[in-house]
Amino acid sequence: MRDHENPDAPDDDAPLDPAEMLALAERQQRAVGLSYAKPVAWMFLVWGVAWMAGFLLLWSGYAEGNPWFTIPIAVAGVAFGALIVVSIVFSAIVGARIGRGVRGASDFSGAVYGISWSLSGAAFAALGIGLIQNGLSTELASLYFPSAYALMAGIMYLAGAALWQVRSQLVLGILLLLIASVAPFFGAPTNNLVMAVGGGGGFLIAAAWFWWQLRRQENR
Amino acid sequence: MSDLDPVIHAAARLRITATLGALPVGDRMTFPRLQELLDMTAGNLSTHLRKLEDAHYVEVTKTHQGRTPITYLALTKTGRRAFEDYTETLRNLLGEQK
Repeated sequence: MRDHENPDAPDDDAPLDPAEMLALAERQQRAVGLSYAKPVAWMFLVWGVAWMAGFLLLWSGYAEGNPWFTIPIAVAGVAFGALIVVSIVFSAIVGARIGRGVRGASDFSGAVYGISWSLSGAAFAALGIGLIQNGLSTELASLYFPSAYALMAGIMYLAGAALWQVRSQLVLGILLLLIASVAPFFGAPTNNLVMAVGGGGGFLIAAAWFWWQLRRQENR
Repeated sequence: MSDLDPVIHAAARLRITATLGALPVGDRMTFPRLQELLDMTAGNLSTHLRKLEDAHYVEVTKTHQGRTPITYLALTKTGRRAFEDYTETLRNLLGEQK
């Protein structure tokens, strides 16, 4: 045992007093928790920007939408798609990194959760396409798709809250369900504005709240 | 202080135990990830892990991913219990309410 051979070794082998040892253990466990939580805050931020900017662009694609300026709907659609794709790629990379170097019992939950995003995304898309093929108008489709994805995201955040016992995801999930179900009542294209402010705003507030919590924990 | 487990009662080993103890039961962590979270040198970490392994607090699993060897570390049931007992003893010493 090295600490017996060289009791004066000025390394981290030496015990500290009880209060310091307890603080050390708690600080270390918080650091582990933070390494899991920080990427989630980044995800909220990226999704907040994508929803806010993307849905504002869509809203600006309609003459009866944004009263200040109108952009071609094709441009708005492509820009919206690009923002969402970038966010998906970012989330997939960051999400896969969260659990790096850790294997075992939680693998199943993590994999099921990750795949559930893609599966439910595909299912909601297929439903929309099926409805369009059966005569769903463009205007109604523009009500369906934003709400469908907000519903999906809301349900996924509720599942995430249950899996990892994270309250912020619970709040975000409920907010997204609320926005998704309320938005269609505003009609198109105002539903996009509701999505931008409610959904995008919700993500940004969640990101800010998360950062604030993390800062508080780091400084403890 | 005599009640304090000498295996854990050293800053480095307490931090290792706390890190592995933060994982859910049934999960294990690679050596490089553990090293990153602890910011310790590989040599120092190995030395302390050996002591924890000798006390049957840490279970070492060696496996391969392709041709690259990977070492996984996890607390054993004994190790997890020892960590909980240790922090509880500290709290009692400090007179904290549970």
